[in-house]
Amino acid sequence: MRIERLTLRNFRNHGETEIVAAPGLNLITGPNGSGKTNLIDAIHYLCMSRSFVMSGDQYVVKNGESYFMVEGDFRGSIRASFTVGCNYSRGQGKKMFVNDSPLEKLSDLIGRVPVVVMSPEDLKLTRDGPVERRSFLDSMISQVDQRYLRDLLEYRQVRRQRNKLLQDAGGRWSVIRDSLEVWDRQLAERGAAIIQTRAAMLERFAEYLATEYRTVSGLMLKPTLRYRTIAEEWGDAAELTEIFMRRLEEVRERELEREQTLVGPHRDEIVFYLDDMDIRKYGSQGQHRLFSMALKLAQLSVYTDELDDLPILLLDDLFGNLDQQKTETIVKALARHRGQTFITAASEQPYDEGLFRGDGGAGAGSGSSAHRWFTVSEGKVHLKFTEENHGI
Amino acid sequence: MQMTSEALERAIEELTRLPGTGRKSAQRMAVFLLKQKDEKVFALADALVQLKKSVVRCSSCGTITEQDPCPICVNPKRQNGVICVVEEFQDVYLIEKTNEFSGVYHVLGGSISPLENVGPDDLRIRELLERVRISREGMKGENTVETEVETEVGAAAHSMPDQTPITEVVLALNPDAEGEATAYYINKLLQPYNVKVTRIAYGIPMGTELEYIDEATLGRAFASRTAF
Repeated sequence: MRIERLTLRNFRNHGETEIVAAPGLNLITGPNGSGKTNLIDAIHYLCMSRSFVMSGDQYVVKNGESYFMVEGDFRGSIRASFTVGCNYSRGQGKKMFVNDSPLEKLSDLIGRVPVVVMSPEDLKLTRDGPVERRSFLDSMISQVDQRYLRDLLEYRQVRRQRNKLLQDAGGRWSVIRDSLEVWDRQLAERGAAIIQTRAAMLERFAEYLATEYRTVSGLMLKPTLRYRTIAEEWGDAAELTEIFMRRLEEVRERELEREQTLVGPHRDEIVFYLDDMDIRKYGSQGQHRLFSMALKLAQLSVYTDELDDLPILLLDDLFGNLDQQKTETIVKALARHRGQTFITAASEQPYDEGLFRGDGGAGAGSGSSAHRWFTVSEGKVHLKFTEENHGI
Repeated sequence: MQMTSEALERAIEELTRLPGTGRKSAQRMAVFLLKQKDEKVFALADALVQLKKSVVRCSSCGTITEQDPCPICVNPKRQNGVICVVEEFQDVYLIEKTNEFSGVYHVLGGSISPLENVGPDDLRIRELLERVRISREGMKGENTVETEVETEVGAAAHSMPDQTPITEVVLALNPDAEGEATAYYINKLLQPYNVKVTRIAYGIPMGTELEYIDEATLGRAFASRTAF
């Protein structure tokens, strides 16, 4: 899958911007604050219906304006070509369009254009709390499995309803006894489906992760992961549902006290290890960096192997803090990606030399296709360099 | 800003309350109405007044009607032993348009949703159980069915046809978490009555190509596939 044309209006510091992207590598350089990241964030909007820098839609609107608009023409091997649009205005909220027809639910968009983002924020994946890891996992699975996304959304809704009942109960079980039952069953069924899917994905993912960590670190330390959920082991989904129901019974008293749902996949944790060392607790700065990169590269590999269409890769200021040698290792790792790639960078250093040369296996995202180099300054984009058909 | 017509302002204000109507659309509508011939506008106003004045809820099924019981409930050709349970009265129209259902309806008035402070007691669930219970009261002594039912139901609704025992309750609720919870709840309460409880199938919309169906829908359709 690739984006051919991207248009933004009133998107952060971009008043009116249009670029025609190369099918292979697209390099975006410019000083800090010029609007490089905004370009790839706009692409992210068209893939995931939201920003990857985790800010609300209202903050995306350019100062002094009342709305923003993003539109992109995509081309893939399965769905030949289509246009995705995103309109947001204060008051009317956000609407997504595919070929000009509005999507009923934003979630219908997810998976249409698979995307992987690598950014300095990735450090949170190994360093911060379980929320970051759950949302990484959810986002990764949602793009390959629409059923999973639906289960997640329904589970969230059931949990909200259930929490409200627990609040209404005022600590008295008798008040909500009959009503709670109908939510417990749904919570357990959907929760079990989510846990099953997560466990299956993590099993496959672990192997990709081991390979990628070796690639980026060059070391033989073996990364592993442990999935901590409501049960140690279980048979099929039906059995897991029953386990879930039993766990709910066990925590009933505490749930009435705390007025919220205390067991379920919303409290899952994924623990990452390097050999036997818990990364989150004992990892060094460098290990965190390499591990989080390996996580994203593993996501890319999963998509490459399991999807019909190659994902779009967005790299945000990835090399800013890396030394020359590390940068080269990463560039090599990325060079295997044959789909479309966007890279933002403040300095032009390693790229003009490495990436745009056809030799030495560099040329991340090249595949068989063309490269483009854009420069950005104060929300204005210029095409600096283009090379159609860069050989193979 | 200085207003020259308070009446126009008031009309705009009222129209803004309609769903999906912002201030600009409301203004356009109000100006449009102002330019219309008197009788057209009065006809509209009258239609709105009648809507509130003469429309009531059917005391049996809960749908909206101008005669109570509603034309569906009093239609002797409908099988009143089969009840279709829906959330809102609009759903009755949708199902009626299909011409696939010849039974009668029961409108709940929503679905169970603690977040919106809607519990089972806020819906017409008790009324549903009552209908089922009363209809089946005479079932043990087959010969007495007709007379017993006549006195029970007849008192409340004189023009109702004879009530046959309710044998099937079809749940046609929304396939969301709230609809599921409501279906589950009703099903549980109906257990003692020994009626058949069914639900409409989850499936693929007619006229769509499989290619365009999302996996979730396709998966559900598969799970509830039927014999050819």
